[in-house]
Amino acid sequence: MAGVIDDYVAALRRELAFDPALARRLASEVEDHLRDAAESDPAWPSAGAERRAVERFGLSRELAAQFAADAVDRQARRTWITLAATVVVTFIAMRLRVVWLDDGTMPALAPLIDRYAFIGAMAAGIIGWFAFRHSWRALAVCLAGLVASIGAGFVRADLFAAGPPLTVMLAAAGEVALVGLLSIHVVGLGRRLKRAAMLRGAA
Amino acid sequence: MLKGHLDAIVLAALEAGPAHGYAIIETIRSRSSKTFDLPEGTVYPALHRLEQAGLLSSTWTTPASGRRRRVYSLTKAGATALASRRRAWTRFSQAVDSLLAGGRAWPA
Repeated sequence: MAGVIDDYVAALRRELAFDPALARRLASEVEDHLRDAAESDPAWPSAGAERRAVERFGLSRELAAQFAADAVDRQARRTWITLAATVVVTFIAMRLRVVWLDDGTMPALAPLIDRYAFIGAMAAGIIGWFAFRHSWRALAVCLAGLVASIGAGFVRADLFAAGPPLTVMLAAAGEVALVGLLSIHVVGLGRRLKRAAMLRGAA
Repeated sequence: MLKGHLDAIVLAALEAGPAHGYAIIETIRSRSSKTFDLPEGTVYPALHRLEQAGLLSSTWTTPASGRRRRVYSLTKAGATALASRRRAWTRFSQAVDSLLAGGRAWPA
């Protein structure tokens, strides 16, 4: 029959299932801690000693909630760094398109979208950073602006230029790669925020 | 109030040398004369966070007496961070002490 410590460690593993490596590491570490604590109890060996060790340790959900909150902070940092890199690369790519591509005879829409979707994305990113640091929705708006800018840039490069130069194509490839990475981070941040809220609510 | 200073407290608890989680909690409890009787699990997110920030390092060790343990030690960056937090705390506590001590009414 499983003891009180075994039950607690199993519950902690379940709560930390969102990060299997952390769950493995912490389960082992916490079990050592609880066994040390139980062995220092005058009533050891007994279920009472184990129960007191577990009670002093705190609720497994509260512990998992703290780890989930830390995971949100780390993911937010990664996301904002990727966003900053994406904005810089998108800006460079946009300027390269202005310099290298001949937009003289084309309808004004694509260059306008290229430019103003980028500016809109920057605005959403800046407002998101200062007002809602952990908002995946603000990031999603920013991401949508960047995607629109990149899409318009592709229209300009493909339809209105006679073979865009390599620098333009390389910058566009960089934009696509970074936007892909940023999308993954935004989705990851949304998931971590939901999980942290769920654990906080239940703790 | 303690929560905001937990990272500094954990760094200070490791200043004397490497220790595992249970020993860190015991050190905090005894050095604070049992004033800081935290739920013991509270220390693990702090340890993990400090390790991720490069202020602590950790390794698994197996003492001759038996159970395998993860032992944490202060890194060079951790020692620097502790010194900086200690200075900040000294300034802050001196300011609060002088405010709480009271004084003459303004204007003097």
